[in-house]
Amino acid sequence: MCLHKADSGRNYADAKLIDKYNYFSDYLIKEGGDCLNTANDLLTIRNLTTSFRIKETYHAAVEDVSLSLKKNEVLAIVGESGCGKSTLATSIVGLYNTVNTKVTGEIFYNNQNLTQLNDEQFNSLRGNHIGFIFQDPLSALNPLMRIGEQIAEGLMYHTKLSKQQRQERVLELLNQVGITKPERVAKQFPHQLSGGMRQRVVIAIALSCKPSILIADEPTTALDVTIQAQILDLLKVLQSETETGIILITHDLGVVAEIADRVAVMYAGEVVEEAPVQELFTNAKHPYTRSLLNSIPQTHSENERLEVIQGMVPSLMNLPREGCRFSARIPWIDASAHERNPQLHEIAPGHFVRCTCWKHFHLEGEEGGGTV
Amino acid sequence: MEQHNNEIVKFDNSPPTGIQVVLREFKKDKVAMLSFFGITLLIVVILVASMFLNQEEILKIKLLERFTEPGVNGYRLGADEAGRDMLGQLVIGAKNSILIAFAITIITSVAGIALGIIMGYYGGFIDNLFMRIIDFFITLPSLMIIIVFVTIIPKYGVLELILIISLFQWMSTARLVRSKALSEGKRDYVNASKTMGTSNLAIMFKGILPNLSSILIVEVTLNFAGNVGIETGLSFLGFGLPPSTPSLGTLVNYATNPLVLSTKWWVWLPASILILILMLGINYVGQALRRAADAKQRMG
Ligand SMILES: Nc1ncnc2c1ncn2[C@@H]1O[C@H](COP(=O)(O)OP(=O)(O)O)[C@@H](O)[C@H]1O
Ligand code: SF4
Ligand SMILES: [Mg+2]
Repeated sequence: MCLHKADSGRNYADAKLIDKYNYFSDYLIKEGGDCLNTANDLLTIRNLTTSFRIKETYHAAVEDVSLSLKKNEVLAIVGESGCGKSTLATSIVGLYNTVNTKVTGEIFYNNQNLTQLNDEQFNSLRGNHIGFIFQDPLSALNPLMRIGEQIAEGLMYHTKLSKQQRQERVLELLNQVGITKPERVAKQFPHQLSGGMRQRVVIAIALSCKPSILIADEPTTALDVTIQAQILDLLKVLQSETETGIILITHDLGVVAEIADRVAVMYAGEVVEEAPVQELFTNAKHPYTRSLLNSIPQTHSENERLEVIQGMVPSLMNLPREGCRFSARIPWIDASAHERNPQLHEIAPGHFVRCTCWKHFHLEGEEGGGTV
Repeated sequence: MEQHNNEIVKFDNSPPTGIQVVLREFKKDKVAMLSFFGITLLIVVILVASMFLNQEEILKIKLLERFTEPGVNGYRLGADEAGRDMLGQLVIGAKNSILIAFAITIITSVAGIALGIIMGYYGGFIDNLFMRIIDFFITLPSLMIIIVFVTIIPKYGVLELILIISLFQWMSTARLVRSKALSEGKRDYVNASKTMGTSNLAIMFKGILPNLSSILIVEVTLNFAGNVGIETGLSFLGFGLPPSTPSLGTLVNYATNPLVLSTKWWVWLPASILILILMLGINYVGQALRRAADAKQRMG
């Protein structure tokens, strides 16, 4: 028996019921029940592989990814550009082109396998249960539609609100995302707003139907630094108010430190490390994670040099499909140290690392040898 | 919260849609402005006047009044070789030409826009299939085929003419719309609409279509001018409307008679001038609209 209680998270008034469920799933865990983790999960991704067809052959941009998102949790997905983060996100909400994309594996939400849905089924789910925030707020808004209409669009499809009620909800949402003159902004067009305001509007659209999951693909990348901070604050506040589960995609570890509860690090289509945020920042293990952390500019560092990771993410067609995909970018590590077929291992509760030979890893210029 | 106030950008008065840009463009371009009002007035006058005319009376043959000169016997623009009033014929002919061009433009635009958006939005197999069909239609010598059709169809009238011309005129609109919809469909706001659960139909016609409106207005306007030209051309050649239904083309056709051409100017000159004015005027308007559409792209 497996209790999928994802939907109950949508009903904010039912906090008591949720507690009961939590208690129940804890009980199940103690009793060794069969849905130890999934009971608490909003979204469960199992062995997801997404491949694009390039010249008649399929190349996986996301390979064998398993992740889960819990209610009221911010799961950050980090990695350089081209690691497959956006592909993962679009696979979840079915935004891929079905002609040249192949998605295998399972994505469970609410007892439904999202990889099996057709367009129509997705339409009743998207917006309603899963909200999506895009990277560039200008292109994510229709230039010829008033802000108010764009926010009301989802309400029109997913709720039975009257026009008047929709109008009120639009103003309420604009207010909620911190826009000071909702009546005026609702009547404006996207180009009349600043970048930060636009992103607030995009967030308002994503939140309009009170989704239980919010997927944000680099929501702050297109914004300047001060606005970035405001938008992150806003997301944090909204999350605590609405108990939404958020998948936050970013390449910025600063953002992760600020807002995430749990982090999955992706490299070349694979999850290489997954850990609670504290654990990741203090006890990162995988060479890629450590290289990423090492490349954050440190203001108090005596080392003037900005550390970078050598090389770049290989393109889809040049991706090594065997062995560790990262080994080419740490050439100072002896070839014999690498594992042939690295697997995810749980090295501490909730802390997964791909491969065991991270024990032999050291950053360039560091002392060699194992640290564990 | 106060800090967000300065996020509201100053250019509050900037044009929300293309309409202001178009108005500005027309204000700057006096010829286009004049053309716009002139053409609108002309079309309205022609359509209204034709409603009050007694077509049968005008088209009745009165051999005694043959080639009456303008201004004589109440024939303000004279009469043709069958004694029919030229002014009346001009109004009826112009009405027929304009309505036919309108009908063709509407049919081809609706078909071209719908097909183009579907092709551009869905891509893949549908797109490929219709692209081949369009290529096929474009390679056909349409004028020849129309002429053949007109000669072999036993009883053809206004409706048949409209349909036959439409059959060969939808491709350019479909291609234009398809290419624009293709690029527009890749924009994030389309994906954003999808993530809100908007249906494909609504995305295509409520989301993408308005964003193509500026180029579509230009395309449709210029197509209209083109269709006036095609219909009058065919009628002039004798493959358009039957002689019993006058059009601007059939009136100009009188000029093929050397006697009429050299001495009876009132029979063919007014229709020729009217065609010239219509085509030039519509084209001026179309050009101004095109510039406005470009200016919007530059500003956007
Ligand atoms: N539609 C597509 N067709 C082919 N290749 C794609 C497509 N989308 C993404 N890719 C490739 O998949 C890889 C991952 O891309 P993406 O998910 O956008 O990475 P990220 O969001 O982490 O920057 C890249 O190599 C990219 O070139
Ligand atoms: S040491 Fe292990 S984790 Fe590091 S690159 Fe080699 S195989 Fe991969
Ligand atoms: Mg991306």
